[in-house]
Amino acid sequence: MSQLTINHVRISGMSACVPSTVEDNRSLPIYKDENDALKVIASTGIERHHKVDDNTTASDLTVKAVEALLDKMGWGAEQVDILAYVCTSRDYIAPQTACILQDRLKLRNDCCVFDLPFGCSGWVYGMSIVSSLMSHGTLKRAILVAAETNTRNRNPRDTAVRPLFGDAATATALEYDPAWEQPMHFMYGVDGSGFDAVWAPYGGIRQPVTAEALEEKEVSPGVYRRGVDMIVNGMDVFGFAIKQPPRSLKELIETFDIDVDTVDLLLLHQANKFIDEKIRKAVKIPADKTPYCLEEYGNVTSASIPLTMVTRCREQLSGDVKHCLACGFGVGLAWASMEFYAGGVQVLDVIDY
Amino acid sequence: MNIQEFIENFAAQFDETEPEAFTAETRFKDLDEWSSLAALSIIAMVDDEYDVIIKGKDITNSDTIQDLFDVVAKHRR
Repeated sequence: MSQLTINHVRISGMSACVPSTVEDNRSLPIYKDENDALKVIASTGIERHHKVDDNTTASDLTVKAVEALLDKMGWGAEQVDILAYVCTSRDYIAPQTACILQDRLKLRNDCCVFDLPFGCSGWVYGMSIVSSLMSHGTLKRAILVAAETNTRNRNPRDTAVRPLFGDAATATALEYDPAWEQPMHFMYGVDGSGFDAVWAPYGGIRQPVTAEALEEKEVSPGVYRRGVDMIVNGMDVFGFAIKQPPRSLKELIETFDIDVDTVDLLLLHQANKFIDEKIRKAVKIPADKTPYCLEEYGNVTSASIPLTMVTRCREQLSGDVKHCLACGFGVGLAWASMEFYAGGVQVLDVIDY
Repeated sequence: MNIQEFIENFAAQFDETEPEAFTAETRFKDLDEWSSLAALSIIAMVDDEYDVIIKGKDITNSDTIQDLFDVVAKHRR
């Protein structure tokens, strides 16, 4: 089992920016009547999501989220030592979006910046990578971005995904603090045999963009896609999501001898309510300790966990130290679980783009 | 595992279709109530009751409840 413990790094602030346009599942043109829409809402818990326009990227949402966070924290842009950008909706094939963000955010030229092209597991992976770099003690302040514009890399005529996925950017401020005595613990997991459970087949080097890859086709009744669009094979993702995340959390609990009765918050990737409730019940954490924001924002990939923290846990995170578990899981297939403590966090109100 | 119990567990995932409509030979994808959500309920039921995670293609390649039963039985061995 791959596991990691990090000391002396804490979360000191969090922010989120969402597009102001809201798409409600009750009024989507893809259903034959409202009853059909209500069935999907009942089983997934997802009522609506926020959606960017055709000129807005995840990095645009990110700039707003990071600028507001730095302002609230009283951090100058020149004080940031690391910027990690977790996102699969990159601005360009090259360069990394984090490089462009260094300039837009006026970060130092010797700032350590990089992209982490993870999906739904990304915030947890990002937390482990960024805090690990910080734990050496010389990189003292970091911003971990988890952002995605799912509505732009999926086909609006793909009825299987349109009701479920939304757009958001989140920023998590991390600080190296020798006096912070609460460790972070991580467990990792991956199963590349499921690479085609969630994937975009065309547009990379193995299958470059061709004229045919840009043609929209009806792949099953009522479901339209182009070769370059993201495919979500719902049944395979579901089978994976009800098996691996509970197993991963149980491994974390066992490996680090965690008393689940002391857990204040279980923070799950917001896949859908049905999946997340199965995970919650498997690790025996009460419903009132498991916040959701998917009803309002849908599945926002790597931004799901931090968006839940910003929108649903502000009071808890800004008060006394809380004991938290988190689990991200999805595209890869990849997953990761973590235990951490958070308190006195400056959590901003959600920003509208 | 036995087929009768599997059929009952299968039928329990449907609200509107009468339980008598389900037999080993039922072509489940022809049911009016069959949907992608019903498929997820079946995957969850098979996990809960038989501790097997079936794949999307297991459902796609099965026509009858017996076909799916055979897939689950094979995974359990």
